[in-house]
Amino acid sequence: MDVFYSALEQVFRPDVLLIIIGSSIYGIVIGAIPGLTATMGTALLVPLTFFMDPVPAIGAIVSATTMAIFAGDIPGALLRIPGTPASAAYTDEAYKMREKGLVELALGTNVICSMIGGLVGVLVLVIAAPQIAEFSLMFSSYEYFWLAVLGLSCAIMVSRGSAIKSTLSLTIGLILSMIGIDVVMGIKRFTFGDTELVGGISIIPTLIGMFAITEILRKIGELRELPPVPPVHISRMMSGVGSTIWKYKGGVARSSILGTMIGALPGAGADIAAWVAYAVSKKFSKTPEKYGEGHIEGIISASSANNAALSGAYVPTLVFGIPGDTITAILIGVLLMKGITPGPMVFVMDAGLVNAIFMVFVLANLIMVPIGVGAVMASRHVLGIPQAILFPIILLFCVIGAYAANNTLFDVWVMLVVGLIAYVLEENDFPLAPMILALILGPLIEENFMKSMIKADGHLIEFFSRPVSGTLGVATLTIWALMVFMSLRHAKRKKAASLPS
Amino acid sequence: MKINDALFGIIFVLVASAILITVQSFPTLPDQPYGPATFPTIIATLMMLGGIALCISGYRERAHQPMIRLAAVMKTRDGLVRMACVPVFMVLYIFLSKPVGFPIVVPVLLAAFLTITTRNWLKSVIIAAITTTLLWLFFVDFLMVSLPLGLLTKVIY
Repeated sequence: MDVFYSALEQVFRPDVLLIIIGSSIYGIVIGAIPGLTATMGTALLVPLTFFMDPVPAIGAIVSATTMAIFAGDIPGALLRIPGTPASAAYTDEAYKMREKGLVELALGTNVICSMIGGLVGVLVLVIAAPQIAEFSLMFSSYEYFWLAVLGLSCAIMVSRGSAIKSTLSLTIGLILSMIGIDVVMGIKRFTFGDTELVGGISIIPTLIGMFAITEILRKIGELRELPPVPPVHISRMMSGVGSTIWKYKGGVARSSILGTMIGALPGAGADIAAWVAYAVSKKFSKTPEKYGEGHIEGIISASSANNAALSGAYVPTLVFGIPGDTITAILIGVLLMKGITPGPMVFVMDAGLVNAIFMVFVLANLIMVPIGVGAVMASRHVLGIPQAILFPIILLFCVIGAYAANNTLFDVWVMLVVGLIAYVLEENDFPLAPMILALILGPLIEENFMKSMIKADGHLIEFFSRPVSGTLGVATLTIWALMVFMSLRHAKRKKAASLPS
Repeated sequence: MKINDALFGIIFVLVASAILITVQSFPTLPDQPYGPATFPTIIATLMMLGGIALCISGYRERAHQPMIRLAAVMKTRDGLVRMACVPVFMVLYIFLSKPVGFPIVVPVLLAAFLTITTRNWLKSVIIAAITTTLLWLFFVDFLMVSLPLGLLTKVIY
């Protein structure tokens, strides 16, 4: 009980509550403006979290991303432009509802389902995370090595596009993570004699470069004015929502659990959860023919799943220190900066912090409803912000954010170089998720790999000698075999298709 | 901007080779063949294999994939200028913020950038002045970040 009260004390402080509300409003704005993603919003928040204690820092990220994922639905339903990729799966469906004069019902259902999905995800997190953490206390370096490699392998497998490009993206992240003092002998590696690189590549400018500068470069070339937003009536937004959700309660439950599970998978985030939940919902629907015509059932399922995925991603993040998606990868970076190494020991040594994180999640999902409804009402103003003004200001914020953490202009260089490289890579279908996951997991993988190699005296069979490590190892090798098989089959099909009939 | 996979492959092979050469000089643990070079060697080898695979696929696809193809937006003068403004803004900030000072450099740079994107210099100047003031208050007065004063250091102190 003491732990619970300590957590309450950490969360229900005026400054923490103010930060959570402020971040929620920030998240709504980021999510509602097409072109600004939840990941970009998180990357831009990082420099500010640098100045906060761990609980408000996590609270800021959790509430901003929770809101951003819901807010992405607003321009999707009103303008047929998804605010974030997580809303893309049901944008057409929501817009068709607008054409039928049912946009308020779509948005009202969205906000309530997002809250339910988020809370189901939190419930799974609260129940499962401590149990898994207790079990994983007996893990040795072998298990940790395989877990991290399994996480990265999953990230490659679920990435869209070529497995080779995903793997190369991963190797870039791992190489970047090796810059600085090595974990084995403490010698300098790849620092090129530069003292700024001895401490490793700074995480804040790297994150901003990877997720914000790339986005600015992509959007600034093609600035567009958004069409006018139709008026939305608050009374219509809440009437009929309860009965509609009750009608499809099975879909809400199924999608929330599915979303949580997908979110827990490293590399798979809210967008994949929404697409899968929408497809599964259509498959199990009694009226699949209505999908695509402005049918609420698909929207209910997908909007529950994307917010559930957000919470689900925190299971491997908190328990093993293995990020479930790009947002949690950034969060791990923030925790490491604050001297907290996520993993099972946090559950033992700092149970108050873990409980405070759970509370922040519940709070963020609950306040989503009033702030979300307010955001829909204010959507005309939010969507009216011209992109021509927005992006230069965001760029300035990025520059100051990169500089502020260490007060060095070298970090602005890092942001610029990483941003340009990431932009070129992404334009050529190299996914960035494996890179950021590898950058965060690199030190963990190398440390546990080297520990295991030294313990095993170089005998690789020892990596499979313990029951859990053996299972994880075989699972990882199976995924690798599956990826090779799929790549070969894809190449064969491509070759067959290019041959003249 | 689309680049042929073979070009990417060559870059990856070159980077991997440079890493493999660099790690040759790293020491190993006493009486052990492992050390700081072990992990980079594995990753660089993986990178090299991936690079070779890209070279092969890029070579096979050479008929459909030109070496470099600019994105449509880069072919328009306005789009290209706006994109170029992003790195130029950052480079100018890096070189000018310390000697000249944040309160002088940022409004000028931001106003210039906004004028390019909005084509309205008066609005740009006003927004740049307001934004700089707000960011200064937030970062310097609230978060205690020491943004460079440059030329104003002597004036203020």
